[in-house]
Amino acid sequence: MDIVQTRETSHRQADKMDTQRDISPDILCVRELHKNFGGVKALKGVSLALRAGEVHALVGENGAGKSTLIKILTGVFQPTAGDILLDGQAYKPAGPRDAKFKGIQVVHQEFNLLPHLSVSENISFEQMPRTRLGLLDRKEMDRRARVALDAIGLLDVDVRAPVYTLGIAHRQLIEIARALQSDSRILILDEPTATLTDRETERLFKIVAGIRAQGVTVVFVSHHLSEVFANCDRVTVLRSGETIVTEDISVTSPDQLVAHMVGRRLAREMAQEKTTTEPGAVALSLQNFRVEKSPYEEGVSFNLRYGEILGIAGLVGAGRTELLRGIFGIDPVISGQMLREGVPASFASPREAIKSGIGFVTEDRKDEGLILDMAIAANVSLAALEKVSKNGLLNRLAELSLADRLGSMLKLKSGGLSDRASSLSGGNQQKVVIAKWLARDPSVLLLDEPTRGVDVGAKAEIYAIMRNLAQKGVAMLVVSSELPELITLCDRILVLSDHRVQGEIPREAFSEEAILRLAYQRKDQGTKK
Amino acid sequence: MNVEATGLAQTPFTGRKKFSFKSVLREAGIGLALVALVIIFSVTTEHFLTANNITNILTQVTINLVLAVGMTFVILIGGIDLSVGSLLALCAVVAGKAISLDVGVPMAISLAVLAAVLAGTLCGVLNGAISAFWALPSFIITLGMLNVARGAALHISDARTIYSFPSEFNAFGSMTFYGIPVVFLVALMLALLAWFVLTRTVFGRLLYGLGNSEEAVRLAGHSVFWCKVAAFTICGFTAGIAAIIYMARLNISSPIAGVGFELNAIAAVIIGGTSLSGGRGSVLGTLLGAFIIGVLANGLILLGLSDFMRQMITGVVIIVAVILDHYRAKYTRS
Repeated sequence: MDIVQTRETSHRQADKMDTQRDISPDILCVRELHKNFGGVKALKGVSLALRAGEVHALVGENGAGKSTLIKILTGVFQPTAGDILLDGQAYKPAGPRDAKFKGIQVVHQEFNLLPHLSVSENISFEQMPRTRLGLLDRKEMDRRARVALDAIGLLDVDVRAPVYTLGIAHRQLIEIARALQSDSRILILDEPTATLTDRETERLFKIVAGIRAQGVTVVFVSHHLSEVFANCDRVTVLRSGETIVTEDISVTSPDQLVAHMVGRRLAREMAQEKTTTEPGAVALSLQNFRVEKSPYEEGVSFNLRYGEILGIAGLVGAGRTELLRGIFGIDPVISGQMLREGVPASFASPREAIKSGIGFVTEDRKDEGLILDMAIAANVSLAALEKVSKNGLLNRLAELSLADRLGSMLKLKSGGLSDRASSLSGGNQQKVVIAKWLARDPSVLLLDEPTRGVDVGAKAEIYAIMRNLAQKGVAMLVVSSELPELITLCDRILVLSDHRVQGEIPREAFSEEAILRLAYQRKDQGTKK
Repeated sequence: MNVEATGLAQTPFTGRKKFSFKSVLREAGIGLALVALVIIFSVTTEHFLTANNITNILTQVTINLVLAVGMTFVILIGGIDLSVGSLLALCAVVAGKAISLDVGVPMAISLAVLAAVLAGTLCGVLNGAISAFWALPSFIITLGMLNVARGAALHISDARTIYSFPSEFNAFGSMTFYGIPVVFLVALMLALLAWFVLTRTVFGRLLYGLGNSEEAVRLAGHSVFWCKVAAFTICGFTAGIAAIIYMARLNISSPIAGVGFELNAIAAVIIGGTSLSGGRGSVLGTLLGAFIIGVLANGLILLGLSDFMRQMITGVVIIVAVILDHYRAKYTRS
């Protein structure tokens, strides 16, 4: 650890010298930026230099100050102190529009698309083309949209399609197409790959390489270090509102970056390997299980045992989330069988699934997992209200103590259990979702993208929680788009494609290649309905 | 504000429940507005702060308060009930028919109360069941019910007003207890009960949850359908109670009673700080909201303003209240 620390300081020095010596022009230079929100110091001295035409990664845990920095760069916030130079001139954007005008574009984590408008309307929304009569020029709008989509290789999307009919991955790419359409000099991608599959990510990075070649500087914010290393030229690490270091990708390593990001505290936890426990009896068994969208007769079949973590891998559209929703009784099941501890079961509603001891940590934390405006304690007790009430009357003390017990078990960090869930960071919100289900002592837990939008530190903690649950005999079914996550966590991995099991990989044979090979493979047998 | 900025993630975990000024600010603000109105009218008019006038205000507030309490349930889940004014008329007409039956006074009165409450409750069940089962906007369904109930009231009564109820019934309407109208006490009890249900029961918790995120409540294993039906049923029930109070007060039951009452009830709820999109608000706020409307109407009459002026000022107050609520919500959130 001490070695890391000294390295860190030496790199800092090296970096300082580096910027002094640098001859290639900095397009944007951020110096000692401070930003206070009331008494809270979100930024306490951030410095950043972007060179023309580079791909610059910005990494750091949630709370490190990345979002605040981006919001200052794009004119949403005004800095408390410090200055920014764009081409050597003072840059003080009056607002997002001004920032765009000056050539700084951002693609946000959250989507800013209008779901009921068409793709082309969304793409042209900032500057609608008009005919000579001043009316909306639909043809021109469609043409521009087509050009923008083609430019990033989205040939398969109909520009007239309403955005809500498209999947999350496509929406992300449309946002990028929209941002690229106007002349941008600096394009900030705020966690663009969080929701993309590997194939889509690959496509995205081809596009990024393309725009970089045109001289556009790309700032890339990501939690995925592998992507940073594969695609970026330099990387800046933020921690607790300060710039820790800026390094050339060629001279650093993922381990070193993680050490910069988390300081010294987490290295051990991250390194912890899964200890395989002897799996128990079969908790859940599916036989030719098919949900509505599943096109093949054979459906999905597998056994899930107590104490086992079974991973579900696959591309977007492979039917992973749909499978979980089918099991949990949200979406109707059209054929096949489900056995719960050997007894045939079919759940007409989540209520019945929950009664049989199943919990479901959904992918969409904000709409499905939590009630953001309600207190943390109320969220924790939401699925187990009968435990904190008598004859329909709530016992607030029981509720608080339940939340308190689970909160400390999961190392939840909050201002207070009566605070709203929206006051928590992504990782802590996810812990509340998990606590909500643990309040019921489930014997089977379905988890859909359990660490999406969660920072490195909280990720490690959530992994530890899951391992701990497995040791206590809980059966878990984990859907994830992050292959390293599945590889770290699972005992077995099933790979889905087209709502069918393409193959099963035992722990000994885990590798990203093995999973991807199956995910891209197309089966020839099976009768399509 | 985002979490990165507030640094909440760094705060250590505490299970302690703190008293929070912000959590009472919502109601405190409305309360202050009410106090301000009372002071203004006390100073500018001679008769505002007299026992008689206070009794008057309480009587005038009563029906709107009853309807607004029911409306709070519906608005909390993100719905709206436009039918309560018409329901009041329908319930009154049905009760008027029942009370005119020749079965002896106590029996007739009981039947009337039962009929009114039953009619209101049933229509509420229909409102809730239809909009929840087909996931249709309650705005449209209750707009339909508004017409159905009004039409039914006119049909049943042949468009005639029913007069002359038993004097015992009438006495209830004008009875006072230490100067406080008994009908107002009934309304207050109802509000208290509603407050208890919303803050202390599982059902109340689920209503708040529903207003925020229906899906989260469904996925936590609760029946969204029945919660919605129950909220509308309660709203219909309060229309029945309001109808009884209306009849006892005015000694008539008219099929054209209650026109526009739904809008006053909605205004009271919104002025009281309940969010129209659901999930946020309280019965205490609704109580204060109903009082602001009542005090305003009374005070402006005493000031000698015309009906038209009164209407304009009430409208302005609603708009200002919503604008203030916008800032209040912003402050309590950050």
